Amino acid sequence: MSRRPRKPKVREAEATTIVVLRLYIVGGAPNSVQAVANLEAICREHLKEGYRLEVVDVLEQPRRALAEGVLVTPSLAKLSPRPVANVVGNLSDRNKVVRALGLKAKAR
Amino acid sequence: MSDRSSLLCPGGAVKRPNVKLQKVAPRLAKRGPEQLAIEAGEIDAIVDHASHNIILLPAARRALHEAADRTSAAREGARLAPIANRVLADLPRNDYLGLMDGLEPVVLTYGTVLYEPGETIAHVHFPIDCLVSLLATVEGRRAMEVGLVGREGMVGIPLALGVEVSSVRALVQGTGRALRMNAARFKTAFKQCPPLRDALHRHACVMLAQARQTVACNQFHLVEARLARWLLMTSDRIPCEEFFLTQEFLADMLGVLRAAVNRAAGSFRQRDLIRYRRGRVRILDRKGLEAASCRCYTKIEGPGPRATWTATRS
Repeated sequence: MSRRPRKPKVREAEATTIVVLRLYIVGGAPNSVQAVANLEAICREHLKEGYRLEVVDVLEQPRRALAEGVLVTPSLAKLSPRPVANVVGNLSDRNKVVRALGLKAKAR
Repeated sequence: MSDRSSLLCPGGAVKRPNVKLQKVAPRLAKRGPEQLAIEAGEIDAIVDHASHNIILLPAARRALHEAADRTSAAREGARLAPIANRVLADLPRNDYLGLMDGLEPVVLTYGTVLYEPGETIAHVHFPIDCLVSLLATVEGRRAMEVGLVGREGMVGIPLALGVEVSSVRALVQGTGRALRMNAARFKTAFKQCPPLRDALHRHACVMLAQARQTVACNQFHLVEARLARWLLMTSDRIPCEEFFLTQEFLADMLGVLRAAVNRAAGSFRQRDLIRYRRGRVRILDRKGLEAASCRCYTKIEGPGPRATWTATRS
């Protein structure tokens, strides 16, 4: 009976970690629309099913945006796993987002 | 939503964005990520914590205004568009507009069963250019048509009479569009809108008369006369000249054998009353077909029942 290699176990642990994200936007505004599309593409590619994304429209929930310390929209917050991170803008700089999320960029 | 409208109201963020923007932008950290993103044009709004306001940047404000204009134009278009279903068209305009939010446009395709006997009616349908047969079923798959609903009526009449379960099979026999409303919403609308209630009571009365006359017609009249009546009734309920049906389907509708339908249709074709090719039927001579049909056609479709509707309506 051969011993199981340890590497796959680590990968499995990585895959089961759920990344919790919150994106603050203004629904219908061009940069916000772009940010949602960019973020979904990045999550699909790097996180598969392992993420939970909440999109908050600051015009519909302004008090929440104020309470949660949002300065501008679109603005992405990674809440877990720690450390927390923030990225502002339309998330078109894929590498910046990937770094902020603590993911490794895929070799192209 | 109230939050949203308060932010968009006069004197709010949308009216004087540039002034506010000039005040707020310096509050952000110099050369910080927020400032850099604003300069790169990647920001839609600034959350001003001092004034507890959301300040839209010009491009975002323009986009939202354009979207709002498009939505109101679409609503206005829908409000002014002709209403193709007669029950809805007969309602006072304000009552129709009140119903509009609950109406969902759908396409019903040939052969779809909307509900079977004994099934709960989930939606009512107001046909626009589709045609729905109501079939009474006997053991097995045999069924006979007892009602035909097109743009003049509504499918799901039992709901208007306080019954949630259908006693017939509702089968789409002409592909086309309809407006549908879910049962819960319909029940509320039916209670709140007396003109809709009156229109549907009249329609239920006409459907009952139609079913009674169909039973008598099927018992006493020849297949040829019944087929002529059925073709005329179908053509009355759809806006196009040509419709699709198979002989098997027709035999089911009339409760006769397929060979009998074939003979009757062949006779009409020879007399140039209809054209019938590969399941497509077109009426060529309407007067001739009316002459060939039994008097049940005028009883169901003629001035009698219609006069009753309008008399009670006014």
